[in-house]
Amino acid sequence: MNTTERSKWKKQIGYFRRYWMLYAMLIPGIVYITVFKYVPMYGVSIAFKDYNGFGKIAEAEWVGLKNFRRLFETNAFRRAFYNNIIISLAKLVFGFPAPIILALMIDGIRTKWAKRIVQTSVILPDFVSWVVIYGLMYAIFSPNTGVIRQVASVIGYNGKLPNLLADKETFRAVIVGSHVWKGMGIGTVTYLAAITGIDQQLYDAATIDGAGRWQKTWHITLTGIRGVIITLLIIRIGHIMNAGFSQIFAISNSAVVSVADIIDTYVYRIGLTQGRFSLATAAGLFKSVIGLVLVLFTNWISKKVDPDSGIM
Amino acid sequence: MSKVKYKKSPGERVSELIINILLVIIVFVMIYPFWHVLMYSLSDSRAAMSGGLFFYPRKFTLITYRMLIRTKQIFIAFKNSVLKTVLATFFSLIITALTAYPLSIPGLKGRRLVQVYIFFTMLFSGGIIPTYLLIKDLHMLDTFWVYLIPGMLSAHHMFILRNFFQAIPDSLEESAMLDGASHMDILLWIVLPLSKAAFATQTMFYGVSNWNEYMDGVLYVNDQRLQLLQVYLRQLIYTDGSKSVLSGADLAASAAVTEESMKMTVVAITVLPVIIVYSFLQKYYMKGIMIGSVKE
Repeated sequence: MNTTERSKWKKQIGYFRRYWMLYAMLIPGIVYITVFKYVPMYGVSIAFKDYNGFGKIAEAEWVGLKNFRRLFETNAFRRAFYNNIIISLAKLVFGFPAPIILALMIDGIRTKWAKRIVQTSVILPDFVSWVVIYGLMYAIFSPNTGVIRQVASVIGYNGKLPNLLADKETFRAVIVGSHVWKGMGIGTVTYLAAITGIDQQLYDAATIDGAGRWQKTWHITLTGIRGVIITLLIIRIGHIMNAGFSQIFAISNSAVVSVADIIDTYVYRIGLTQGRFSLATAAGLFKSVIGLVLVLFTNWISKKVDPDSGIM
Repeated sequence: MSKVKYKKSPGERVSELIINILLVIIVFVMIYPFWHVLMYSLSDSRAAMSGGLFFYPRKFTLITYRMLIRTKQIFIAFKNSVLKTVLATFFSLIITALTAYPLSIPGLKGRRLVQVYIFFTMLFSGGIIPTYLLIKDLHMLDTFWVYLIPGMLSAHHMFILRNFFQAIPDSLEESAMLDGASHMDILLWIVLPLSKAAFATQTMFYGVSNWNEYMDGVLYVNDQRLQLLQVYLRQLIYTDGSKSVLSGADLAASAAVTEESMKMTVVAITVLPVIIVYSFLQKYYMKGIMIGSVKE
């Protein structure tokens, strides 16, 4: 060993002495990620196999793309894919602008306590689970005992009321509406934080120049948070394959399955209740891969628009 | 908003009025469902059925609560949910801090590699079925561990905490190193005390999602003794089984109580702990979201 090598070696030992504890700290996290995140990624191999849930995955027979072909021949899957896209797009169209508009409205409130009350109350729905929200919707929309019934009686209508929660015509609106209701308030937080970052002098200067409230909102506030809006929109589009598993699982029922079944609920049903593991995994993998491609693609676009943006 | 005063035009006054009315409506729509459920649960069943229940209870009574208290399953479910929330949040905080701290040290070799390794799991996942099969292979189905371990570390929260740690000046840590402190000492006695705000928000994020998230209870647990409150509630609302909880109660009382009242009461007791926690911590929650929205 010559001297340079020896000093290099010494350096290595010194480095390890200094940092070994940090590596030790990382062990639980890395083990966790490996076991619970990467092992299931290996598990997707059953999408290309014939696996019935018994025995070892490694020993199951390879069948190539057979599961995927079968999947696309299945009407229920095509329907779930379609619903997935429709529901997700509707959530994007209605759910994305809502917090921006609400944030602008909240920003316009001059009285401090009123602002606090509004902010506190609009965030509340984010704290409860979808099961609870279903309970709340039931309390409001139940055609026999809900609030709509009572309002109807007050105005003197005692006829039949539609059951919005079990009607194919209205159920997608219920999904999108409850999504907006739950997420609108919490969505304002990021925008309000961004609005706080806008230079106040811009507003003062605009006022002196005779700009009205709308002009200021349009030219200063919205322009000021444009970057945040674009970034969040891109992230949102990247996640368009997630149509809301825990929501739809909690609020849908057999009467509306044809309009509310999304890929995730489809995977759950054929996989865990019918035991068709390979087919279900193929459906899940199909969704994950599209999701991954979308995230990478939108991130790439976002970098083109603004090199500092994006998630990677 | 602005220090410069200006006279509002009549048009602006009108639009301001409209916006204020809209805001009042929005606040009402956000709050009222909770209030209604609470009032319903506090009302006499028949009086509630006969209508006119909007803002205050009709014929105030606690009978549904008394009946629920007498049922065993609600205690089991409540206990499981509390235990899950407390323990899972505790474990999550430990592993999140242990992972985030080393990754906040600039000089650590291999740091980028580990980060990419963790980050990729935010982009791609094996999905429901492979995860289920893994948990089955680990013999965690129908055990309490399934509530604690599979969701222990959130990559997203880990990166938020790492950002927070990175903002702590290195000089503090370096001087502690010179005094002979180990990295564990630094984490415990310097970094953690300086990150109280970050921990408050992390505790809330994990705590709220542990309380609300019930898919683990649906996917991996069949045993009634391990049932979560949310799952119990879901079962009650769906299956018209609310009155089955009355089986232990006396018949005279159960005749006076409807399915509806029982459902509303279970919704109310599922929501109440969250609302209580919320009213104390919502300020931190908002701050936490703002921290999270800042890019790495």
